[in-house]
Amino acid sequence: MNLFVIAALVLIFLFLGSAVIGLLRGGKDGSDRMFKALRMRIVLSVLLFAFLLLAGALGWIEPNGMFLPTQ
Amino acid sequence: MSNEKYYVPHGTYWPIIGSIGISTLFIGFANQMHDVSWGWPVMVLGFAIIAFMMFGWLGTVVTESVSGLYNSQVDKSFRWGMSWFIFSEVMFFAAFFGALFYARVLSVPWLGGADNNMFTPELWEGFKATWPLISTPGDVGQNGVTFATNFKLVDTWGLPAVNTGLLLTSGVTLTYAHHALRAGHRSALMAWMLATIALGVIFLGFQITEYGHAYHDGLKLTSGIYGSTFYLLTGFHGFHVTIGVIMLTVILYRIQKGHFNLENHFAFEGVAWYWHFVDVVWLGLFIFVYWI
Repeated sequence: MNLFVIAALVLIFLFLGSAVIGLLRGGKDGSDRMFKALRMRIVLSVLLFAFLLLAGALGWIEPNGMFLPTQ
Repeated sequence: MSNEKYYVPHGTYWPIIGSIGISTLFIGFANQMHDVSWGWPVMVLGFAIIAFMMFGWLGTVVTESVSGLYNSQVDKSFRWGMSWFIFSEVMFFAAFFGALFYARVLSVPWLGGADNNMFTPELWEGFKATWPLISTPGDVGQNGVTFATNFKLVDTWGLPAVNTGLLLTSGVTLTYAHHALRAGHRSALMAWMLATIALGVIFLGFQITEYGHAYHDGLKLTSGIYGSTFYLLTGFHGFHVTIGVIMLTVILYRIQKGHFNLENHFAFEGVAWYWHFVDVVWLGLFIFVYWI
């Protein structure tokens, strides 16, 4: 399950990378590529977040939480 | 646009003002570290000079851009400059995520005697490799510090999840703003930009609240390798969100001034990418610090 989450995050980074290439090229084609890549990255990010919450609720993943020392 | 091969800017005083600002900042910072009374005011003065320089210099660039002085060659330079900046940002956060990975997966187990014979449990008497490690081995035994394994868990479903939802929503509103810009819907563009900025500010407010709780409960920058990596990663991310909110506000001002059109809006694209990147970094933090 952890590998699936990490793979999804890598895919999101690949779309960010694709957007940078669009930004670098410029013009109409570059601008279109950038917009589409950023749109895909936000769709995937929201889906991954929803999956995390669902997986946590169903017990597929046990969240770490944040650790605080006891006084 | 100019037909010249390259726009050569006039002589300018902004670089020397920037140098004076940085020098003032570091002189103030070094002296406040030595508890010199005038350290803080000089540091603040340095910040103010740098802010003045950035406002003035970038303002000059905007003025030159809207007056049509820049040709396609200059546009290409801006795009390459932004790309190298993006590369440096990716490497910056890769180093901090790398530090978290190294500490958690490699160095702390090694100190507990795992995998090799170089680091053994005898190096720190009574040391057991645990995560989170919220005490520094060298401090153990002093002032009642122990190899603390007693910690309480703060719910991932609380502020961290709310903050992730907020930042992801800001990514959605920014995407709608981007679409509105490309479609020429100016009022929708401004409304979505305002929503994005507001969500960023709310995120920062919650982050400060979370820091207050954590610090009050005893999790500090000095709380072992966990405290150090937690505050470095989330702190630098918060700093980037702050910069992002400032940049989005400048872009909103420029939209209101009518600086962008359907074909020419590189500044918007650069800032939009930066915000999406900051969003993804937080998603990575949420996953690696709070979940996996």
